[in-house]
Amino acid sequence: MDVLLDNLGLFLGAITGFLTPLALFHILWSALLGIVIGALPGLTATMGVALITTLTYKLPPELAIIILICVYVGAIYGGSRTAILLNIPGTPANAATTLDGFPLAKQGLAGRAMGVATTGSVLGSVIGIFFLATLAPILGNYALKFQSFEFFWLAIFGIVISGHLTALDDPIKGWIAGFLGLMTAMVGQEGIHAYERFTYGTTELLGGFALIPAMVGAFGFAEVLSVMRNPQAEMADNPKDSVIPKLADIMRYWRTIIRSGLIGTIIGIIPGVGEDIGAWVSYAAARRKSKEREKFGKGSMEGLMAAETGNNAVVPGAIIPVLTLAIPGSAPAAVLLAAMFIHGIRPGPMIMVESPQFVYQVVAMVFFATLAILIYGLALTKPLLKVLAIPRTRLLPVVFVLCTIGSYAITNRIFDIWVMIGFGIAGYILRQMKYPMAPLVLGIILGDLLDKNLRRGLVLTDGDLTPFFTRPICLVLWLVTLSSILMSIDPFRNALQRAVRVVWPGARRDAG
Amino acid sequence: MARERSAPFACPGIPGAWFICMFKADFLTGLALLLVSALVLIESWRMPRLEHLKVHPLSVPGIVPAFLAVVLLIFGLVLVRRSIRAGGYRIGFNRDDLRRVLAQPGNQRLLMTAVLTIGYAGVLIGNAPYWLATGIFIFLFIVAFEWRRGMAGREFRRMGLVAGILATIITAAVALAFERLFLVTLP
Repeated sequence: MDVLLDNLGLFLGAITGFLTPLALFHILWSALLGIVIGALPGLTATMGVALITTLTYKLPPELAIIILICVYVGAIYGGSRTAILLNIPGTPANAATTLDGFPLAKQGLAGRAMGVATTGSVLGSVIGIFFLATLAPILGNYALKFQSFEFFWLAIFGIVISGHLTALDDPIKGWIAGFLGLMTAMVGQEGIHAYERFTYGTTELLGGFALIPAMVGAFGFAEVLSVMRNPQAEMADNPKDSVIPKLADIMRYWRTIIRSGLIGTIIGIIPGVGEDIGAWVSYAAARRKSKEREKFGKGSMEGLMAAETGNNAVVPGAIIPVLTLAIPGSAPAAVLLAAMFIHGIRPGPMIMVESPQFVYQVVAMVFFATLAILIYGLALTKPLLKVLAIPRTRLLPVVFVLCTIGSYAITNRIFDIWVMIGFGIAGYILRQMKYPMAPLVLGIILGDLLDKNLRRGLVLTDGDLTPFFTRPICLVLWLVTLSSILMSIDPFRNALQRAVRVVWPGARRDAG
Repeated sequence: MARERSAPFACPGIPGAWFICMFKADFLTGLALLLVSALVLIESWRMPRLEHLKVHPLSVPGIVPAFLAVVLLIFGLVLVRRSIRAGGYRIGFNRDDLRRVLAQPGNQRLLMTAVLTIGYAGVLIGNAPYWLATGIFIFLFIVAFEWRRGMAGREFRRMGLVAGILATIITAAVALAFERLFLVTLP
């Protein structure tokens, strides 16, 4: 009880700490910018957070992080506008929103659809915030038990699960992307003996590839190329009905809201999976459980609610492993993690020992960001629609100028601009070949963790691999990892299905 | 034979877009992975064992890159095997295919974007004053994509004026923000 009160006190302290004119000013402009970034086709949450990171170097850490969180939450929400009105997701997180959002707009219900999207996004965030506040301290304390063996498996687990879930049709491509990311992280001076790997005498590569230019390239430049290649989208009619959410929609779909919020939070906690998968899984679950299943894909309010609740619940969920394990739950969270390091904040297992107040500050930050999107969602619908009318031929050169100067600004090196260009081209080509970007980014972040902990573990046991497989957490991690791999191999999956049918004859033929 | 190859393997529904034909792409990616993995394995083997520092042999710098290279080698083999089974290795392209690909408006826009962006970030930045490079890039980008064949002279002048004004305002805003507000020494 005392711990609960202490935590509540820390949370209230964090809330009051941000009730200053300067903090509120930063919350308001950054959430609005986030919504605009999310709404503009071609600008994603990851790109937005990465670009804005470059503008926050000189700010105090708390203000810098609250700005980035507001941009993150705002962008995931803002993308729903584009999904509903243009039938193209403003960010990948809103892909599931198009399925019912655009048909609703076509039926003249764009305003109500936007109201439902606002309700879903806000309630999804609130559910995620609850779990961020309650789970992060527990997980943080639990993570103190992690040793090299567990961290090694956590890195492999993250790559394999992220690779699987972000490339469900062809998991091997997700795994390849993840391991390419891990390999990329091997470039530069390694952390145990300070040997320069794969640098070939280049001083610029001593520190490896900087994460922010790499992310700006893979998510910014690649997106510029992608958007310019695709045809210009056509906008549905402007909404004529009210955008104020109806209480009846909330009451009617409360089960869907809670289920999608839970799914989104859990997907967020899984390393490197992200908002788009959160939305799709929530949508699929809502469709399976719905009494009006036939409406899904043709303009279902429930489907729209599920997708928007699911994707916004991922945001606080994805921040949980960022704070407690220094492992990102999504691509924008990966940038957030990098930004925390840049600002001298050390997330990871020690956070609940060294600075527990920061965890509650982050909870308060997500809370303020959610409040901001609620205000903008209700008050600024019509002006925000004007943003969608900006031609891409005028918007994208500005985006690319920011990609360039943003990559350069971190260390004032032209080399980082080349890193941005290289990752942009590679990211574009990989995406065209259906390789997901999230595991690649996760790999770049987890490479150092895997490298140090595999070697440390081997040294500790003098080459004995047993603890890697027998320690309880390791056992769970490698079993889940192995199952994920085996279940994606057709002969194994078919054999398992046959075995299940032998043991349980009533099992559906398509089970598994 | 060169024509017949298109029958079962030529990316149904995507005429001429040979480069996004997955089997072919997988085949080439698989080969690239095999090559990269082999090179990394060789490099990892050549990395110092640091015996003179008496370090533990399992903590040497090459051990993790070698482990990752082996995993990528396996993935590369799976991709190559899979694409060979699907016949992806047989897909080729000739000059006509290339011409068809380049004739698609989307690909023309992509090529133009790549030339302008890489020209700006890779060539102009660092070799020309930042404001000049950025101004030229924004102006050219807008004009290149908003220009249409048969555009009336007045319309063209108006577009040029808009592009010039936007280039000036955006360049000034970005340069001032980064130089004065964020204290960055512009390239």
